[in-house]
Amino acid sequence: MKEKLGKLTENLDYTLLFAVVILCFYGILMLYSSTRIESIGGEPYFYVKRQFLWMILGFLFLTIIIFIDYHKLVRFSQVIYFMAIVFLVMVIIFGRSTYGARRWLVIGPFDFQPSEFAKIALIIFLADFLSKNKSKLDNYFYFLMPFTYAGLLILLVFKQPDLGTSLVYLAILIIMLFVVGVKIKYLILTFFVALSSVPLLWFFLQEYQKKRLILFLNPNLDPLGGGYNVIQSKIAIGSGGFMGNGLFSGLQSQLKFLPAQHTDFIFSVVGEELGFVGAILLLGLYAIILWRGVKIALEAKDLLGTLLATGAVAFLFFHIVVNIGMAMGMFPATGLPLSFLSYGGSFMISNLLVIGILLNVELHKIKW
Amino acid sequence: MPGTKFYITETKIMMEILQKGENMQESSTVPEDVKQRINWLLIFIIICFSVLIISLWYLQMIKGEELKERAVENCIRSLVEDAPRGNIYDRYGEMLVTNRPAVMVSIIPAEVGDLEELSKRLSEIIGLSKEVIEQKVKKYTDNPFKPVKILDDCKQDKIIEIEERKGELKGVVLEVQPRRNYLYHEFAAHSLGYVGEIDREELQRLGNPKFQGGDIIGKTGLEKYYDDILRGEKGGKEVEVDALGREITLLLYRKPVPGKDLILTIDKDLQVYGENLLYGKKGSIIVSNPYTGEILALVNRPSFNPNSFSSGISYSDWEKLSSNSDYPLTNRSIQGVYAPGSIFKVVTAIAALEEGVTNRKREVYCSGTFESAGQVFTCWKEFGHGSLSIVDAIAYSCNIYFYTMGKELGIEGLSKCMHKFGLEEKVGIDLPAEALGTIPSSEWKQREFKQIWFPGDNINLSIGQGYLLLTPLQIHSVISAVTTEGEIYRLHLVKKIISPDGSVIKEIKPEVYRKVDISSSTFQTVKEGLRATILKGTGWRANVKELSIAGKTGTAQNPHGETHAWFMGFAPYENPEVCITVFLENGGEGGEAAAPIARAMLEKYFNIQK
Repeated sequence: MKEKLGKLTENLDYTLLFAVVILCFYGILMLYSSTRIESIGGEPYFYVKRQFLWMILGFLFLTIIIFIDYHKLVRFSQVIYFMAIVFLVMVIIFGRSTYGARRWLVIGPFDFQPSEFAKIALIIFLADFLSKNKSKLDNYFYFLMPFTYAGLLILLVFKQPDLGTSLVYLAILIIMLFVVGVKIKYLILTFFVALSSVPLLWFFLQEYQKKRLILFLNPNLDPLGGGYNVIQSKIAIGSGGFMGNGLFSGLQSQLKFLPAQHTDFIFSVVGEELGFVGAILLLGLYAIILWRGVKIALEAKDLLGTLLATGAVAFLFFHIVVNIGMAMGMFPATGLPLSFLSYGGSFMISNLLVIGILLNVELHKIKW
Repeated sequence: MPGTKFYITETKIMMEILQKGENMQESSTVPEDVKQRINWLLIFIIICFSVLIISLWYLQMIKGEELKERAVENCIRSLVEDAPRGNIYDRYGEMLVTNRPAVMVSIIPAEVGDLEELSKRLSEIIGLSKEVIEQKVKKYTDNPFKPVKILDDCKQDKIIEIEERKGELKGVVLEVQPRRNYLYHEFAAHSLGYVGEIDREELQRLGNPKFQGGDIIGKTGLEKYYDDILRGEKGGKEVEVDALGREITLLLYRKPVPGKDLILTIDKDLQVYGENLLYGKKGSIIVSNPYTGEILALVNRPSFNPNSFSSGISYSDWEKLSSNSDYPLTNRSIQGVYAPGSIFKVVTAIAALEEGVTNRKREVYCSGTFESAGQVFTCWKEFGHGSLSIVDAIAYSCNIYFYTMGKELGIEGLSKCMHKFGLEEKVGIDLPAEALGTIPSSEWKQREFKQIWFPGDNINLSIGQGYLLLTPLQIHSVISAVTTEGEIYRLHLVKKIISPDGSVIKEIKPEVYRKVDISSSTFQTVKEGLRATILKGTGWRANVKELSIAGKTGTAQNPHGETHAWFMGFAPYENPEVCITVFLENGGEGGEAAAPIARAMLEKYFNIQK
């Protein structure tokens, strides 16, 4: 045991861990800034306290997951995948409904979002499947298998409805397929098949989702409805300028012009209050994490490790780019939170679990 | 030996670290093509981050200033706080005009969830159609947090219902605005005037920064004449608001300065009494103190309700008022010009006495007809009055006597006297839009009609007919001058200007506006005639034993139908306190119609119980 601990402390990727810890505290600070004025029950630390608790819990899970050799972990990949399905079905049946969407399962005093943990289940399951079947993927039938597995999750999440999260699954799938080495033409072909099914998909989209897509194309169409978020967010980020308005001094954020500013639009608060400098610092921290992630994927002991790390990178990368791009009006408001910054327990834990997977792959690249 | 064991572990780890690179190289089984793909993924990640950084640069560094302004605009609001207009009181301090809170129902577009549903619910309460409400909200222009006015001046019961159902009417707000309230509706409407929103022309003339569109301004009457005093100064504040338009911090506040109050010279009871006397008639009554110029009553009929202008009059109501053939909006006493008829004989008499054409003793024989330059003029009494002195000629209103005077005075003599009374000028009351009468002269006739002044014109003018047109106010200035024997005090409606705390800011002192250069004996003789008119002449219907009234009646022919009935006079004869002018448009005979009204007014004033 002691031996193992020694190895652990020596081989841990401290750069990655350090960047994550800094990010978490950066997030706590921004969360405080965006919620201190009007928190639930007039308690300025309401959100911060809860987020901090999630963070501690997340690091606890992270520590646990590091210890389990990923080779042992993937033995349960099918069980994990099956559990994810079960939970997602339970959400649809028993889930707590907010704003017309069922996304939460209420267990005791906690609300948790199974779709977050399903992301990790998907990464583990795909890594397992793809590493075992890499050579067979040239076969179109085998190529379509992972689509079926991921597709089931996507459909269940889409049903909630949660467009953003189902896109995360899709991104994880595509990136992992790309990395494992499937033929590019297969991917392109699949892309066109998917594209041609968009009109069909349109029928399944909820009214608010259709609206969001239209408003993405022209946010000024309805400056108070869906387009309002994007316009206010752009104003907030832009008004930050180089140095920002100073912490707790964002006009837009402190006066609540930013909707969902502690969840999906927290980047706007960073941009407004800490300016270009603060935003670049944030992007820098994310860049370090992704760089370390890619490095871990490259240096992994085996394909399974590489794919696990790739899935983790895909997860983080998609959330970061889409969320920040959305805050700047480059993507439609799909409702994706920002890793380590956005408020939300399940999301915080799933992000730390993903970091745990990366650390795990790094840690187990040498023989113990 | 725990120490040794530890040592061994240490060495083992160190060895492993030394071998690490080699070790990994050996054990890595990741295919090269996968590593290649990961490198491509890395490039893709770098590209995405570059794009994020570039657009961040664009938003914050290039568009930063512009967006910063928008952020400030977003949350700084200037709110105007209107100053309450000054109140208006009668001479005894009874309130006549004040402000009442009017509740406006507005919708803040930004707060509305489902507009259709909200419109439907609100429509059920206020009775405005659902479509109209939706239209109004959709038309909001610049600022979605600015309330859109849906219904002005909402009724009390509806307000209560809105308050009760507040929960289901998210986005609906009730705003209170001061609204001008004329407590006695039609009471003295022409003198008080009305207020309304400033129009384009006024805005251009009076201009910024004093006025902005939407400001309430006095449109007519005292409201207009004393607008600067009544209006006060707008206040306002700049506030920082949050996304829901809630005030967060007050950045700047300027308290509105309430308008100053007016205390009028009007005696409310007398005014009301006069208005009741003229109910259903057309005409006016002016009662004033000749030694101060204070107007005690200024009655005009028909009248209108100035309250209907306070909330912005509807087009159809305006049409109804302005196209009414009885001209209810016209202030007849100062804006109407009429033939004065026989009351003008007082001026002719004064001219004749002053110019030495006649004297107290001279008698003129009235046979009922009078010939001049081949034209025949008649007296109203068919078979004549016989021989009359000037006092009796005034009393019986004998035309022949005054024809004789007119013929002998000529236009020069009459013009000279009219000039002494200042009839070619406005009287100068403190009301806007006073009209000017028509004072004929030979030059005037030449100018207007390209005709010379005929002798017959003198004859007509001598009894107040022909081209002569005067306002009732001008007539009133004549009787004022006669009463005071030569001094015309400036006629005015405002006695004091006081601040809202009650302190007097300005007191309007009596001011001799014009000295009429006429001898005292002339006035004495004419006054005797005016007293005789009441005691035995045409004004007998104005006679009361408790009060010595003096006056003159007039029945003026005019091209608009029935004769105008006039009466002007003063009381008490010995020691005058008030003078009065009564005018009834197409009202018939002066003695029959106007004199009894004058008597009633004077009885009211002197508190004579019947």
